[in-house]
Amino acid sequence: MFRCILLLGIMVATSATVAAEVSVFACEPEWGALAQEVGGNLVKVKSATTAMQDPHHIQARPSLIAQMRRADLVICTGAGLETGWLPLLLRRANNPRVQPGQPGYLEAASAVSLLDRPQRLDRAEGDIHAQGNPHIQMNPHNLTAVVKLLAQRLSTIDPDNARQYQANLDDFLSRWQLAIDRWEQTAAPLKGMTVVVQHRSWVYLSHWLGLEQVATIEPKPGIPPSSGDLARLVAQMERQPAEAILLAAYQDDRGATWLSEHTGIVNVELPLTVGGSEAAQDLFGLFDDTLNKLLAVAP
Amino acid sequence: MTPAGLELDIIGVPLLAGLLVVATHIPLGREVLRRGIIFIDLAVAQIAGLGVIAALAFGWEMGGWQVQVIAAGSALLGATLIRGFERFWPEIQEALIGITFVLAAAGGLLLLAGNPHGAEHLSDLLAGQLLWVDIDQLIAVAMVYLPVLLIWYWLGPGRLRFYLLFAVTVTVSVQLVGVYLVFSSLIIPAVAIRRLQGIAAIVTGYGLGTVAFAGGLLCSLWFDWPAGPTVVWMLALLGGVLGIVISASQRGVTPE
Repeated sequence: MFRCILLLGIMVATSATVAAEVSVFACEPEWGALAQEVGGNLVKVKSATTAMQDPHHIQARPSLIAQMRRADLVICTGAGLETGWLPLLLRRANNPRVQPGQPGYLEAASAVSLLDRPQRLDRAEGDIHAQGNPHIQMNPHNLTAVVKLLAQRLSTIDPDNARQYQANLDDFLSRWQLAIDRWEQTAAPLKGMTVVVQHRSWVYLSHWLGLEQVATIEPKPGIPPSSGDLARLVAQMERQPAEAILLAAYQDDRGATWLSEHTGIVNVELPLTVGGSEAAQDLFGLFDDTLNKLLAVAP
Repeated sequence: MTPAGLELDIIGVPLLAGLLVVATHIPLGREVLRRGIIFIDLAVAQIAGLGVIAALAFGWEMGGWQVQVIAAGSALLGATLIRGFERFWPEIQEALIGITFVLAAAGGLLLLAGNPHGAEHLSDLLAGQLLWVDIDQLIAVAMVYLPVLLIWYWLGPGRLRFYLLFAVTVTVSVQLVGVYLVFSSLIIPAVAIRRLQGIAAIVTGYGLGTVAFAGGLLCSLWFDWPAGPTVVWMLALLGGVLGIVISASQRGVTPE
């Protein structure tokens, strides 16, 4: 009998510690990393995609539904990046805490002002996002805005630990601001560097560092280039060569490799998010590695 | 122990969808096998899929009635065409069906060439969306399948009637479970139970389909695999075992 009560006590205690953890479902690794920075050991973070997957599209797996059901906080890019799967997943998981409009549903894009807002909306223009370009994570100032909103939401969801979240946020922001100052200093030679991009994933990076985006390999967002598109790109590069071709780790590199072979312009594969390269194991590593790779090919 | 293993109700609705598919596909599959037109499933499923792709290319939304009308219309046309092959060129019927399948598949690729989500649509069409199915979709599917089953068991498969019922059923199933699972749920049980007759065959077929869908979905939950392809493999494994057991037991009863 006594043993029974003891066992029950242990079960209650363990379930209590499990329940105390805030379960965070991140659509992309960068938001998972951010949640881990602010949440520390108070949160349990799962990322739906890895750096090697295209966040526009993922396969339905049972674990995604299960994780979404348990989630106390869902953090996604928003701005249409996940329209192909997130609404289905939210509906299927049917978790009232994380439905749009609830404190448990956070769109990172809502914290920043988006670039590349389209002038007109037309399906024929390819995979365009009405609210603007959603690949916001490659400007560290955007992450500063998102992390503040994230800390606020964590405190709303788990008010008992609000102080801890605030302390973690302050600690992160002081380290982050130091890093930004350092990055902006070392990246000075990149200003005005001309680049060709695979997909329009680098607008925020270009905007931050002053890179000049002169061409895009995809003729329209999400559509692979035809041979005619590639020929036009080669002709353009012969007139005005760019200094590098940028592509993300998850993207198909055939177009970029072909262009590089035909023009001699160097191809740079950048991580784009946490886990996208050996060195990009956290948010600091993400920007360190990106800048190192760009500086290595800078004129 | 995967944490997902605890949440059995995730696969509840997909299992119901699977049972609906099994209910219609077991009798249809036997008829397909009897007529020896195995690749009609791939051809008609692919044509229905081509209809869906064409409707999307016209700018209609997935799930709208226009998409369903176009998909069913193209499947009916395809089925009538294949009925024509059977009638006029029976000796090269299988080859013509194969050609029809390849044309439909290649047509889909052409239509999706300029679509940024083309690869996704194609992979959904092949592997299906079993895990995303919700209860509203299930009701719509049941409203198509029930009349099909009623006509089938009441009037029996006529010649043209078989092709039409087949087209309507496959149009619905292909959007639910994808081309691969449509093919395997029609053909694998039919092959496994080919030595049985009458009610015994139907009951065994239904049993196999039910166990395979349940087992496949459980595996998908346990190992976190995509549901459609997992059920295909489960059907093949269980179907193979069942076929061997049936032939062994029949040899035991009536030694040849």
